[in-house]
Amino acid sequence: MKTPSDENHDLIRWLDGEMTADERRAFEATLQNDPELAAEAESMRQLSESLKTHLPAEMPVPHADFFNSQIQVRIAQMELDEAREREKAAESTAGWLSWLRMPWLAGAAAAAFAIAGLVWTQNSSNGTSTIASTYTPNPSVHAQVFHSSDAQATVLMLDGLEPVPAEKKIVGFRVHRAESDAEVATTTLFDENGSVLAVVALNAKGQPQVLK
Amino acid sequence: MSAAAPAATDPVEPLDVDLVKRSQAGDTRAFDLLVTRYRSRIYAMTYHLIQNETEAWDLAQEAFIKAWRALPNFKLDAAFYTWLYRIAHNVTYDWLRKKKIQGDGEFDDERTEHRAAPGSRTAPQGFDAPDRAMKRQELGSRIHEAIARLSADHRQAIVLREIEGLSYEEIAEMMKCSLGTVMSRLFYARKKLQEMLKDTYENPV
Repeated sequence: MKTPSDENHDLIRWLDGEMTADERRAFEATLQNDPELAAEAESMRQLSESLKTHLPAEMPVPHADFFNSQIQVRIAQMELDEAREREKAAESTAGWLSWLRMPWLAGAAAAAFAIAGLVWTQNSSNGTSTIASTYTPNPSVHAQVFHSSDAQATVLMLDGLEPVPAEKKIVGFRVHRAESDAEVATTTLFDENGSVLAVVALNAKGQPQVLK
Repeated sequence: MSAAAPAATDPVEPLDVDLVKRSQAGDTRAFDLLVTRYRSRIYAMTYHLIQNETEAWDLAQEAFIKAWRALPNFKLDAAFYTWLYRIAHNVTYDWLRKKKIQGDGEFDDERTEHRAAPGSRTAPQGFDAPDRAMKRQELGSRIHEAIARLSADHRQAIVLREIEGLSYEEIAEMMKCSLGTVMSRLFYARKKLQEMLKDTYENPV
């Protein structure tokens, strides 16, 4: 037995053409025997036609040119904001070792004495760097390096370090630039004043070694 | 989606797919052409759902901005208008939810009696206009007023079905509800409109 809700749904589905052919035939037979339902169906059909007539699918946009130009302005502003954000991010991460100054990393690194060694080559003509390898003296520590040319940043992730007390301190270096000498296979790190911070080379086992 | 507008068929007009690809490459002029092509449809949709010219204008613009931002993720696996329409609907739906617009005394799924005051602006009134054109115009205004008095959910169901021509399945997906709820909303929305426009059908144009 159909509930009032079912009957309402039948009426709506008939009106909207959502019935199968068999359902439609059955419902239309019901309409012929139920004048009240037929009147309701006709009233709803007229309403539906009126709605379609008076609610257009397209309407002229007021101040259409301004509508478009505003969108262009907003897009331009968005892209400018994003460029500034990128610039800010690049500035804050300038120098691949600036992560050493981060408190969260400083404590962990200090405890394990496990600073990963990085060897990279630098092309001075275009300023791009490539991470060649990573090395951690402690084998239980796993190092991963992520470099973004767009952000001009390199992030070193060290997994496996022991937790350390917050009061532990570590001294970090802010590397402003690096120069590689292919002939002697060394990389020299400079600070913002141009002073040499460290010279790194590979030892006989292919592991990074700080010479200075 | 049956509401999808056909892509440009004029040989002079660039196809949607070409404009989308250019937009994805950062060509804002191509995106401007897409805005021009679809702004009337998107604005009509937001206007019918909001019933406020200024807010509808802002929401339509917001929809295009969101579309621009999302373009890199658009895989061209659907018609651009279908994709844009969904974004516009979501923007409007979120706005409606935040504003919690409620029609005064609308029919809802559990309640079938309405409280519209007989003397209110939406109460049926006889036609006094001397000619049919004026009657039609009056009927249009009255329909707009009646639509505005529906609850947000009922209004959406009616707009998606009657104006955009979406199937029940598409409406259910768009409104994140069951097919039964779609049918109930359509039924009660129409019942309320019927009540508010009753004498329109007793004195047909």
